Amino acid sequence: MTFTDREILETIRMVELETLDIRTTTLGISLFDCADPDLESTCEKVYTKVVHHAAGLVDIVDTIHEDYGIPIVNKRIAVTPISWIAAASGAEDLVPLARALDAAAAEVGVDFIGGFSAYVDKGYTYADRAVFDSIPEALAQTERVCSSIALASTRTGINIDAVSHFADVVLETARRTADRGALGCAKLVCFCNPVQDNPFVAGAHIGVGEPETVLSIGVSGPGVVRSALARLEPDADLLAVAETIKRTAFKITRMGELVGREAARRLGTSFGIVDVSLAPTPAVGDSVADILELIGVDRVGGPGTTAALALLTDAVKKGGVMASSSVGGLSGAFIPVSEDRGMIQAVLDGALSLDKLEAMTAVCSVGLDMVAVPGDTPRSTLTGIIADEMAIGMVNLKTTAVRIIPVPGKGPGELVEWGGLLGTAIIQDPGRFGCRALHARGGRIPPPLQGFRN
Amino acid sequence: MSRRFLTAEDVRRSEGAEIIVEPTTVVTPQALDAARERGISVRTESGEWQPGPPDRGPDAERALRSLPHLPEPEDNPSLASSAIVTAVGKNRAGVLAEITATIAAMKGNVHDVSQKVVEGYFHMILTVELPEGGSFHELKTGLECLGNPEDFAVRVMNERVFRFMHRV
Repeated sequence: MTFTDREILETIRMVELETLDIRTTTLGISLFDCADPDLESTCEKVYTKVVHHAAGLVDIVDTIHEDYGIPIVNKRIAVTPISWIAAASGAEDLVPLARALDAAAAEVGVDFIGGFSAYVDKGYTYADRAVFDSIPEALAQTERVCSSIALASTRTGINIDAVSHFADVVLETARRTADRGALGCAKLVCFCNPVQDNPFVAGAHIGVGEPETVLSIGVSGPGVVRSALARLEPDADLLAVAETIKRTAFKITRMGELVGREAARRLGTSFGIVDVSLAPTPAVGDSVADILELIGVDRVGGPGTTAALALLTDAVKKGGVMASSSVGGLSGAFIPVSEDRGMIQAVLDGALSLDKLEAMTAVCSVGLDMVAVPGDTPRSTLTGIIADEMAIGMVNLKTTAVRIIPVPGKGPGELVEWGGLLGTAIIQDPGRFGCRALHARGGRIPPPLQGFRN
Repeated sequence: MSRRFLTAEDVRRSEGAEIIVEPTTVVTPQALDAARERGISVRTESGEWQPGPPDRGPDAERALRSLPHLPEPEDNPSLASSAIVTAVGKNRAGVLAEITATIAAMKGNVHDVSQKVVEGYFHMILTVELPEGGSFHELKTGLECLGNPEDFAVRVMNERVFRFMHRV
């Protein structure tokens, strides 16, 4: 078979100039069989099982990179939510389990391991409470462990008690990692309708119903979509914009499908999903904000932004599902503020407010992501921000998440530099009005009618 | 199902000079240490216990069997191990020869060549079939080392990438 020069150069350009890459290959490992009445033995089993299964991951993925010439950026591990495993031990301090996960991740050479997690969308078990209580110390003591909590779902409603408890955990995690710009909070996320096969951190974990081990792929490529749109005629209409994005997403996803099949085969495990998510990085051009501006809004955050983002997310999903039968996860467009150069600039210029971001999360593929707020933001205000985000997910039958970072000692407009993939954040102003009375009521917001679809 | 794990606690609780485990049992490093300290030997029915390959679960085999049934885009087995080589750079005498000589040294067979020179710069695309058992990685490294940023750059990708991306 021969390809046209145009086809070949298009692929080369995507990889060389437009930073197309496989963002993550994530090996999901079930830890159900590691539950033990003794926490020390649980830790031993968890460490040993993760190392046993993931020992070959980095090498095998590197070989695929060598054999295909495709850049594969991260190798990661997702495990069963730790509260389900720790329950048998009755332990209240689960920091040792976080250390075991961290040690295993370091041993096999992955950069993150997700699954220090719990599901409390309707209520707590003792183990769930232990996870909450252990998170701040666990995230302060470990480097690679990521934590996610399910606080709400369309089926169960929003557990407001858990939301306010989560707000406490966020504030405490920020306090314990204050010397690093509250970096611990970057590894902590809460969800409504969490995706149980999500390969992207910080929300990566594998839920019930997943196989013993499963390999999933996260593909990215905002730079590719951006360039494709830049080549489009300036007066092309929005249908043409959607079509261009869809075609580009198709090509990106196919690369993920290829790597997924190959990685699953070489590892000898089930192939899970391809998550095609435009995930920005601080690199120039690798920005979702740029795409939205190319679609036609003056600045991200201005009127039209939500509509443009809705078009983008939907076109990415459509291109993805056509390209692979395994498309799943979150798939769409991420809007992590600090990680996207264009978004940060928009915040600096006063174009992108917290309110507009919230509106955007109703149509993006996740939620409020990598948003920095002042360290002295009241607990009730944080609860309100998170509850609003959970409500958007609950009513719209979609996944929403909050990864919020209250940076101690910083006020609105100040800058925090985390470096690396996490980028730079401008502290955003949550406003001066709170929801103390709602917070004080506590309890649960019942599920909406949309949840009763039996 | 066999015993999944042997932990240090299991060793501490055991009585006797040896513990018999299944070949598929995962013995934790701490269990091995505890056994060594106590002079207990951990073995299987047939001999010494050795860590085996990871057991990927009851449906892994089924999943792997079904992988080859997923259709490849425009399957073409004769080109299963082809590489697409692109080179871009300043034109000078002997560039094509250098690249093809390297390919020939690795017993690669050039199927298709396309070359254009525009304003002193060339771009070249070659489809190369690797010999049976030939290493894609070696070809890639060999060719990519040829180029230097002052002169020209070579990029080698597996043909399958293009097939997945541009064919249905």
